[in-house]
Amino acid sequence: MERKNFLRSLIIGAASTPVLLNACKKESASAAESGSGSVTNAGSAASSNACAVAPTETEGPFPTKSPASYVRSDITDGRSGYKISIKITINSNCTPLAGALVDIWHCDAEGNYSEYGGSGMQSTNYTAVHFLRGRQTTDATGVVTFTSIFPGWYSGRATHIHVHVHNAAGSTLKVTQIAFPEGLGTAVALVNGYNKGLNGYTYNKSDNVFSDDTAGVEIATVTGSLTAGFELLKTINV
Amino acid sequence: MYTRIITLCYRKIIDINVVKPWDKLVFDDSYAEFKIQAQQISYGTPYTSYAELLRNVPAAKNLSALVTPAISSYVQQLNETVPEILNNLGRRFLIFRQFQFELINSDINDKNKHQIAVNFFTEPLVWYDTISNYLLIGHLSQTTEDIYTHLFQLQPYLSIHSIKTGQS
Repeated sequence: MERKNFLRSLIIGAASTPVLLNACKKESASAAESGSGSVTNAGSAASSNACAVAPTETEGPFPTKSPASYVRSDITDGRSGYKISIKITINSNCTPLAGALVDIWHCDAEGNYSEYGGSGMQSTNYTAVHFLRGRQTTDATGVVTFTSIFPGWYSGRATHIHVHVHNAAGSTLKVTQIAFPEGLGTAVALVNGYNKGLNGYTYNKSDNVFSDDTAGVEIATVTGSLTAGFELLKTINV
Repeated sequence: MYTRIITLCYRKIIDINVVKPWDKLVFDDSYAEFKIQAQQISYGTPYTSYAELLRNVPAAKNLSALVTPAISSYVQQLNETVPEILNNLGRRFLIFRQFQFELINSDINDKNKHQIAVNFFTEPLVWYDTISNYLLIGHLSQTTEDIYTHLFQLQPYLSIHSIKTGQS
């Protein structure tokens, strides 16, 4: 920093003059000639040197519309754990719903969420990540796909993924959670709570969110293995 | 030499009245994200304003953090230069690498109530002297014989965020 940044900070100011001059120039050049509606001057590239390198111009101060950094399919953000592909189909009245926004978020292998905890009011380096959170728009078949890690667990809850479905205008269509199958041979048993084991784990039947789901409507289909990774399939009717 | 190393914080307030393109984009996108995130927190409650949610729903304290990803790409477009704050030569001169987004007020049903702030925290600066109403500061770790400096005035919403004194 230091000298380099100091010089750069000078450049930022100094660059504003050429911008104005160029802006004026371009405006006068584009002033339309009166006449018929067809192009009479297609413009001509400078012919003297076809290979001339484009002049370096100052980058304009114009901001561009950017999507939220939630919009992404791979939400891993460097968190370690067993890979899981999450494929969610959104249906409305039993037909696939295209163009719906689907947010998902879940905890990491240790059971922690991003954005939560004591450091919430700290200033953040803007390269800071928002791990294990993502947003996708459903395709024509109502499907969104995310790549993540198999969620860990924390005290009081069964393994779960939060899902928030909203329309393009941002109005909520459904806030729900996805539960995991459990018992012998299931992914939950294979992952075995990562380093924690499953001692003290809350199973679906005791979970305050899933316990009333006796029909298992909220439970996803989870296949795969520790080495190849898992695949989760779930259809949600909104 | 006795030195004071400071960092500055510029708290940029953005509300429905802003007119500059960057400000408007940040306003619109942060409101859209607030609405999405807040609906999920207000679900099952009668509360729609940020203040009510904050008072009544514990998870609402995370709303500022949850809305931040909607505007972080706009902060990147600033290329680490703090906007609007000029030195006495009229140039932007403050470098930041940290920022904090802050919801001040908002309401799921009323965009007019949406008011936010982006706090920019500067890199450390050496405060050499105070001349009249101006602070004479230089970027840290300059090794040349002549130290390059900026002269600037403290102004509303710009404050000294931290200070470290020592010998150099």
